[in-house]
Amino acid sequence: MGTKIGIGFSRDIDTATAAQNAAISSSKSLASKDVHLAIVFSSIHYDPQTTIPIIQQTLNCQRLIGASTAGIILQHSIETRGIGILTITSDEMNFGTSCVVDALSGNPIQVGTSLANEAISDFGQHARQAFLFFMDSELHITSEFLNGLQQVYGNVFPIIGAGCSDDFHYEKTFQILNGNIYEHSVTGLLMGGQMTVGAATRHGWRPLGKPRIITAVEHNVIKSIDGKKASHLYDEFFGEYADDLRSQKLGRMAILYPLGIDVEGSNEYLLRNTVDITSEGDIICQGDLLEGSEVHVMIGNKNSCKAAVREAAIEAQKSLLGRPAKLVLVIECLSRLKLFGRAAFDEIKIIKDVFGGDTPIFGMYSNGEVCPLKTEERFKRPHHQNESVVVLAIG
Amino acid sequence: MEFSLISLIIFVIVGFLVLSILLYLINAKSRRINQYALALAKLKRSFNELDEQAKLIVQTDLELNKAQEESDKRLNSLEALHKISRLISTTLDESEIFHRLDQAFSTDIDFERGVVLILDDKKQLQIQVKHGYSQDGANFMLNQLQKDNNLMQALMEGNTFSSANCPLQRRETIKQIFNTGHFVIAPILTQVGFIGVVFVGNQSNVSPITDGDEELISILASQIGQTLENARLFEEVYKSSQALESKVTERTKQLQDALVEVQNISKTKSDFISAVSHELRTPLTSIKGYAAILMDGKLGDIPPQVKERLGKINTHSDNLVGLINDLLDISRIESGRVEMSFGRCRLDSLIENVHDLLTPQMRDKNIDWQTDLDASMPDMFLDSSQIERVFINLVGNAIKFTPIKGTITVSAHLKDNVMQVQVTDTGIGIPEEDIRRLFDEFYRVENEINQNVKGTGLGLPLAKKLVEAHGGEMWITSVVKEGTTFHFTLPVKTEEDILREREEREKAQKK
Repeated sequence: MGTKIGIGFSRDIDTATAAQNAAISSSKSLASKDVHLAIVFSSIHYDPQTTIPIIQQTLNCQRLIGASTAGIILQHSIETRGIGILTITSDEMNFGTSCVVDALSGNPIQVGTSLANEAISDFGQHARQAFLFFMDSELHITSEFLNGLQQVYGNVFPIIGAGCSDDFHYEKTFQILNGNIYEHSVTGLLMGGQMTVGAATRHGWRPLGKPRIITAVEHNVIKSIDGKKASHLYDEFFGEYADDLRSQKLGRMAILYPLGIDVEGSNEYLLRNTVDITSEGDIICQGDLLEGSEVHVMIGNKNSCKAAVREAAIEAQKSLLGRPAKLVLVIECLSRLKLFGRAAFDEIKIIKDVFGGDTPIFGMYSNGEVCPLKTEERFKRPHHQNESVVVLAIG
Repeated sequence: MEFSLISLIIFVIVGFLVLSILLYLINAKSRRINQYALALAKLKRSFNELDEQAKLIVQTDLELNKAQEESDKRLNSLEALHKISRLISTTLDESEIFHRLDQAFSTDIDFERGVVLILDDKKQLQIQVKHGYSQDGANFMLNQLQKDNNLMQALMEGNTFSSANCPLQRRETIKQIFNTGHFVIAPILTQVGFIGVVFVGNQSNVSPITDGDEELISILASQIGQTLENARLFEEVYKSSQALESKVTERTKQLQDALVEVQNISKTKSDFISAVSHELRTPLTSIKGYAAILMDGKLGDIPPQVKERLGKINTHSDNLVGLINDLLDISRIESGRVEMSFGRCRLDSLIENVHDLLTPQMRDKNIDWQTDLDASMPDMFLDSSQIERVFINLVGNAIKFTPIKGTITVSAHLKDNVMQVQVTDTGIGIPEEDIRRLFDEFYRVENEINQNVKGTGLGLPLAKKLVEAHGGEMWITSVVKEGTTFHFTLPVKTEEDILREREEREKAQKK
């Protein structure tokens, strides 16, 4: 039988009809009654409490995992409203799923180890190839959480992750696992069997201006930079627009100018989105930072981002060691959707160009991505960052 | 002692030299340090300048990104507007328009909330489309809006308001009514004036309203107004046409009933004329026969005065028989009982025969006879005796009403497989009001000639019916004191056409 891939999508106005149509079209595209895995990406316009039972009933799938998203990446379009479903039937691939509910209240390392171990229990005794997780982006993916995963999977195991997103309002996201809908949780998918995996990430943002030193930080909250209030950095760079940033009028634009941190051994800067600026002048980032780190304001444009996508796609393809890709999963930061606007599909065209037009492509726009950065070793520590595109090729 | 002095001198000199060298070196180093300090300061300044430039770049880039976002938004709005316009303008059903708008608010217009309010027959706003509001929320908003006379008045005057552009007080009012921080509210106007309101808005601060949004909603409101106006006009026209159609149907039925009644009366009349004519003709034949016997003297000689009276009886009997025959022919044609004897015939020969027959009368009045016929006339399938009757009737009439030395012209031309025939005289002409009644049975134009010449008033109706029995038409054109033309047409038919028509007629009669 090998591996069959099906992709379905619907943007019907009626929630139940959209769920049903997306499931039916994915099933038809799969051309098999057995669905071993379904990955569902849904815009927040649809109530998952209604859609997921319909999708489960229609597909009768063994495992179902999914997330809310600001946009669904399909073979021929980007959709900011709708339900997209990827279905896989395979006698070569094996899957294991897991979930840690209300992950915010738990110890981050323990959350990571629990998520990894639960997935292994479900996965069984097969060769493990990659771990994919979806997390409520409000949880601010921490390095401790990633440490927890690595404690179970080891330091050279590819760990890919995505922060669930909404429609740029940063208000409410959801995670889906096997018919259950969660908030403030993290769900995981362990993949393995007779398959190869190539994963790569790039962002295309470049540093601007002189480096500054983070002089006081608590996890993801920068208190001061160069001994001054952290917010002074944005006051300097945004000038009269800085007030708009504080009042959130500019919230959606601020993600285009993240903070970049130099990572030892990597050509890429680690990026952190600014989520908020408090009245005390603290900058709240989406992810941890270290005191004493050099930090830059970063800037990107369409060309630099396109070049980054091409590099990521080529690197992921090379990692397949000559095997053709059966499926390409794409996780892109929603800021790129903002940057590209109507030209957002240009990035997917580049990925199609690298892998060939017939390779199924499915993906989501995330709020925070996790993938190992390009370093001298093949896979190293997974990093959480923003503004990036993660290409996960399965061969 | 001397050695010590020399040594001291040498030491002093060497010391001086060393000190000089050291001083020189320190001086040189100091100069270099100063140079480095200058270079470092320059570098630092450049670095700071670069940083300042970076800030400018960020601010410029930010403006560009904002411009791109606005441009994308406008393009998306245009696309959405185009789609919505297409959606709502392809139906003229008002409820379907609102249903489609409801869909568009969910899928194509990127706002968290939206309502379309339309005035009802009592001039009260009603919610037709709501998106992002609960029913209670929408009702509350509607009540609040209708209570705010100032805002309603401003909307009725055609003003659009948005959170980006309207005065603070009005902004706060609208914000409270619609419970939405960022908004656009636009009136829906038609030729009859204000008919409703479109409102869209976002509660979240991350989606403020732009000029593009205001333009989009203004255009959308105008599009909705136009579409609703079209739908209402269509509804009115449809209702009128329905009423008209119903009247036409009713009137048609009345006419059909009247026609049936007329046909029944006509049949009764024809049957009556037929029966009476037959009943009259039999005794007339006897009268004529007996008169002939008496005149021939077979029953003995009769005095000349009696013979003269018998001659009058004979002549009047002949006139009466002619009248009865005409009546019978009309009656037969009307009832469809007439049997035409179609045969191959040449119209030019037939016209010549008629000329020969009527030459004596024309000669009496010195009338000039002219013909204008196609050089090659086709053979026609006609009942030649009946068509000859038509010609005799028309030419006879022409002779009657044409003064001495007048002209009678007979023309016949083939056009589109139909023979167009005209009999034209240079007679006294017929007034317009008489032309319309000339084919009525027994109608005779009141003029001097008719008062002196006897006639039945059946000739022309009979001629018209004979032409119609051949599938043709007859009509008259005339100018008083200049002359009259009788026009008639005869379709050129083949033998097959005649047979097929006869079969169809028989089938219809059987039915």
